[in-house]
Amino acid sequence: MISGIHTINILLPILYLATFVVYFYDFLKGEKKLVNIKRVFLFITLFLHLIYIVLRTIAFDHPPITNVFEIFTILAITISFSYFLVELVSDIRGTGPFIIILSFIFQLISSLYIQDLTEVKEVLRSNLLGTHVISALLGYSGFTISAVYGFLYLILYKDIKLNKFGLIFNRLPNLEVLERLSLYSAVIGFIALTIAIIIGIIWLPVAFPKFSYLDPKLIGSTLVWLLYAIGITSKYLGNWRGKRLVLLSISGFLVAIISTILSNFIAQSFHSFY
Amino acid sequence: MNLLAISINHRTAPVELREAVYLKEDEIRPFINFAKENQLKEGLVLSTCNRTEIFCIPGNTTLSHEKIESLLLKFKSSQNVTEENFQEYFSRDAVKHLFSVATGIDSLLIGDNQVFKQVKDSFQMAEENDFAGYIMHRVFDAAIRTGKRAISETAISEGAVTVSYAAVQLTEKIFSNLSKKSALVIGTGETGEIAAKHLAERGIGSLAVTNRTQDKAEKLAQKLNAKVIPFAEFRESIFKHDIIISATASPEILVTKDDVKNALKKRSNNSMILMDIAIPRDIDPKTKEIDYVFYHDLDSLNIIVEQNLSKRKAEIPKVEKIIEEELDNFWEWYNSLQAAPAIKDLRDLFEEIRNEEVEKNKNKFASEDQEKLDIVTKRIMNKILHHPTIELRKAGETSDSTDSATKIGIIRDLFGIGTQKKSEKE
Repeated sequence: MISGIHTINILLPILYLATFVVYFYDFLKGEKKLVNIKRVFLFITLFLHLIYIVLRTIAFDHPPITNVFEIFTILAITISFSYFLVELVSDIRGTGPFIIILSFIFQLISSLYIQDLTEVKEVLRSNLLGTHVISALLGYSGFTISAVYGFLYLILYKDIKLNKFGLIFNRLPNLEVLERLSLYSAVIGFIALTIAIIIGIIWLPVAFPKFSYLDPKLIGSTLVWLLYAIGITSKYLGNWRGKRLVLLSISGFLVAIISTILSNFIAQSFHSFY
Repeated sequence: MNLLAISINHRTAPVELREAVYLKEDEIRPFINFAKENQLKEGLVLSTCNRTEIFCIPGNTTLSHEKIESLLLKFKSSQNVTEENFQEYFSRDAVKHLFSVATGIDSLLIGDNQVFKQVKDSFQMAEENDFAGYIMHRVFDAAIRTGKRAISETAISEGAVTVSYAAVQLTEKIFSNLSKKSALVIGTGETGEIAAKHLAERGIGSLAVTNRTQDKAEKLAQKLNAKVIPFAEFRESIFKHDIIISATASPEILVTKDDVKNALKKRSNNSMILMDIAIPRDIDPKTKEIDYVFYHDLDSLNIIVEQNLSKRKAEIPKVEKIIEEELDNFWEWYNSLQAAPAIKDLRDLFEEIRNEEVEKNKNKFASEDQEKLDIVTKRIMNKILHHPTIELRKAGETSDSTDSATKIGIIRDLFGIGTQKKSEKE
């Protein structure tokens, strides 16, 4: 089983790269016949990735959520799976390569550094931790996708304003759709992060005696949560829309990334487990 | 194949000459009757603002292109049009030309699929007036198939190639659902009217028009089920509209940057599209500096038009390939309408059926009767085929090739000879 896991571990970044290449080729060429081929590529990649996660969970006796490289592989699959659903439900084409490239990057880093850990701290075997981590990951996947759509919105917005009618103009969906996709992803991410934070508040003081409300990751997450809360509230109160809203989404994503990097790699935090 | 075609079009004649021979819908019927009286047996009359074309199978061999041209000129009493303004086609070239017209590659606006509909309408007109016979039917079917293939298999008709349509295409890149948006068209001249029509066709939620001459605005509004805003008051209602298209002949700016800023405030920064398709411009170009305002003038819309036209031009070789394929298919079918191969195919078919039945049933007969069975069935078959064979030979010897092709074609269709062979091939 272990050798199978290692083989899939090597295969996954290659498959994500191949899927990205097919999606990007379709983005350049816009040929109707590629629609099904690229979906098949994505489906096979996701299916194999799911098998990989199940095998890892069985072989190492814990779900792969105990360190950053395990979490990256989960992020890779949740991002691409969310996109897969968006594509099936909305039939929106042209945005795939910009999202799948992120899955490729996350999976590549994960595949390079992931270790076969069979022994993890007892605290990491808690069910509440599983829910906490999975909802936090769903939250961050939502924010990532929201930021990508936000970024695409800004590029298309600028292109239309400057009369640039090239590939971006021809292939991307319209501005309102991009804004809506960015908003919906952010709302889903926000709900998931809220759940993660609530579980964290209940569970953390119990699990960690050294728990501190000044923990960098906690502050970072709260800041991210606040940014999205402001954005979503402003949207539904009817004042903020379009460019301003997507800028907020991109800022939220950047804060989320910076806070993750700071708390995982630089600051000493009870959140780091490796 | 005795198919003649004449064409006066945007390449051969200026607009005033094309207008002189243009056949309006109510003129086509009398013209067809006039043509039939003058030895045109069956055909197709296509007349649009860019071309007037007549495809026909003459009733006698003496009928020439010149005669058809003079019939048209006589009917329209046109003095200035000369033979030089006509292109002439014969047989395979005539069919090829019809295919090119149907696919839009012969149009002034390459890939214009309006002409495909016009070809269909003209054939319907020919049918209604008893002007489309067996051969013309097949020519038409092949032309329609070619046109459909060009549209579905290539990008020859994709993208906007007129400024007013490009304006609508651009709005669809900003708004997702036009049925929830409102538009105001300022100026109801030709350009404004076309833009308003495009918006209505695309299902705009609400449409308003305004014009210095209120009567013109009201007429257009009635046609498109739109509201009319008095010209003096339109500035106050700019904020109510998501899309503003302006196409007036006004020498000065009608909508200023401040007008748009104020409107945007009232709209709580809901995006606005301003399309200025007037010369000189109606909307202050500085409005493009405002966030959430998408300002586009003729220059920017022309970029889209030019890009789409070059894309369509790049598709022409693909369409030409389709035309050649369909032309070959059509010609293969047409060549099968010769008498000798038709007689052979018919006899082969009967012999095949006879042989199959004899083989299947011969065991029911005593062995000494089996040979007799063979002889008797052959005799029956020969007797049945005697008369049709004589008739087919006669058809082959007649001087009217269209008549003979029609007869042979009907026999092939009746017995499924051509189709049987084709399906065997496939």
